[in-house]
Amino acid sequence: MERNKEMSIVNENIPYHFFRRKAINGAMLALCAVSALIAIGILSLIFFYTINRGASYLSLDFFLQMPKPVGETGGGMANAIVGTVILIGIGSAIGLPIGVMAGIYLAEHGNNKFAVLVRFMTDVLSGVPSIVAGVVAYSLVVIPTKHFSAFAGGVALAILMIPTVTRTTEEMVRLVPQSYREAGLALGIPQWKTTVQIVLRTAFRGIVTGILLAVARVAGETAPLLFTALGNRFWSTSLDQPIASLSVFVYDYAKSPFEDWNNQAWAAALVLIILISLLSLSVRIVTRNRFSSR
Amino acid sequence: MKTLKIALLIIFTLILGGGALQAQLKINGAGATFPYVIYSKWFDVYHTKTNIEFNYQSIGSGGGIKQVIEGTVDFGATDGPMTPEQLNEAKTKQGTDVLHIPTVMGAVVVTYNLAEAGKELKLTSEVLAGIFLGEITKWNDAKIAELNTGMKLPDQQIIVAHRSDGSGTSFIFTDYLTKVSKTWETKVGRGTSVNWPAGLGGKGNEGVSGLVKQTPGAIGYVELAYAVKNSLPYASIKNKAGKFVSPALESVTAAAAGASKNFPEDLRVSITDAEGKDSYPISGFTWLLVYKNMKDKQKGEALVNFLRWAMTEGQSYAKDLLYAPLPKDVIKRCESKIVQIKY
Repeated sequence: MERNKEMSIVNENIPYHFFRRKAINGAMLALCAVSALIAIGILSLIFFYTINRGASYLSLDFFLQMPKPVGETGGGMANAIVGTVILIGIGSAIGLPIGVMAGIYLAEHGNNKFAVLVRFMTDVLSGVPSIVAGVVAYSLVVIPTKHFSAFAGGVALAILMIPTVTRTTEEMVRLVPQSYREAGLALGIPQWKTTVQIVLRTAFRGIVTGILLAVARVAGETAPLLFTALGNRFWSTSLDQPIASLSVFVYDYAKSPFEDWNNQAWAAALVLIILISLLSLSVRIVTRNRFSSR
Repeated sequence: MKTLKIALLIIFTLILGGGALQAQLKINGAGATFPYVIYSKWFDVYHTKTNIEFNYQSIGSGGGIKQVIEGTVDFGATDGPMTPEQLNEAKTKQGTDVLHIPTVMGAVVVTYNLAEAGKELKLTSEVLAGIFLGEITKWNDAKIAELNTGMKLPDQQIIVAHRSDGSGTSFIFTDYLTKVSKTWETKVGRGTSVNWPAGLGGKGNEGVSGLVKQTPGAIGYVELAYAVKNSLPYASIKNKAGKFVSPALESVTAAAAGASKNFPEDLRVSITDAEGKDSYPISGFTWLLVYKNMKDKQKGEALVNFLRWAMTEGQSYAKDLLYAPLPKDVIKRCESKIVQIKY
């Protein structure tokens, strides 16, 4: 009798639980879908709005001409486009090797107190506001050399890249199965060769994704460049001189009282977005080729 | 893959090599935003003439002074002169005096958003100080009404807009209020950024212009060029001689002439509240800051040549860009200063 009663309670409750769970499940799924839509929506909003405002001001002149004096219409941003590429180049040249090697160290040899400290510091560093990186580069490079320079800008960007690259590299290298390393070592391959040729190669795509994230993050940075790379209205590619960059141009032009400059700011923003998209696309293609050809 | 790598390598060498080949003289400067328009015009014209690159970045007057003290630029620019302490600091850090060379002049205008006032609003120094001190709060205040007879002033709140960042424009404006109002002098004083007793802050001239344009009942101060470019109305101000003067290039030049009698030797002069019946009272100079002893001979020579050019041919570009050119006797004083630069 008792057993029957128990059974009946359970039987009555199953449909109820089932209904409630289903409702919650449905509601949560809908919320997730809405959130995903919002995320995509914002991205496409930014993208389409920038295209809408900037595309009509893109012309050949914009890519090939130098900026005109303040307040005069026309001119382009050839120097800023090249400047942005150079700044990213310097930042990567300094930041990527440090970041990748630090990541490898943490993943492969990171079972000590020092590594815990490094990990903690990297996390702190990744939370540092970008303007602080600019101030650091200002006092480390600009004041001692008595020069605003492309190099100082690159140092500021490198500081911002290092934590992202370090942590993603560490995570990606950790994902490589232990058996791969053991297999390498068992065949008599030295440790360093195992790391470089087996572990790194296996984790390659993940590391590249991390690098891309870091590059994309710094490509649009303005704050750390204001007091390091400064800006330049002339053509300059030397590393010890101030250099122009798209992001600083956008900042300057967007707040100016001149209509034509505001439009050029939109065009520059669009070019910046396209540049980053192209960069990530080309790296993806390069990494894919590398895998399919082997 | 390999070809792509090689192509990228070639492109980079070309870019970098190209920069190294054309080893032009590059001179870097930074500072005030107010003269940015004419400076970039000057440097563009001068570049086509001489092939020397003057790279000027408008980071603000305060920033310009700071960089001159740190020696990270070849020259600076400011709308508010350096204080004696700053000059001393620059001397100890850089081992040379810093000279102030006036380049052009400008006016700070009082702009407002009040349909009823049209473009004819008249103000005196007392009323202006009262408004910015937060003592006069309504547009139909008796003190404003008696200056603007025949105008139907509404019973509307006055919303004060001022600069939130350190700025030479603020310096000129507060310098004027300090000269004309005892209360202002004791309560607020002059400076590139002060403790504003009333109102909302906007960043840069564009920020204040935007605030005034969008807020009915607002009043603020911006440079003449910004008011004209944004077609904002601006008030006539009663000057020392008792005449209401509208800001214009002529009335700014008149103010400089009015102040030229007691010009200090170092050219760090304030021309607010100047004598003369046509003087617009909220006018000011903008200066280039140069080192008296230039370490680099080539750069020193180029800078001196440029300054000479700016004092002569350069002045002819001022009017079109809404700056007041320097009066003749000021140019003479400048030239005697430029001669002192050693390189």
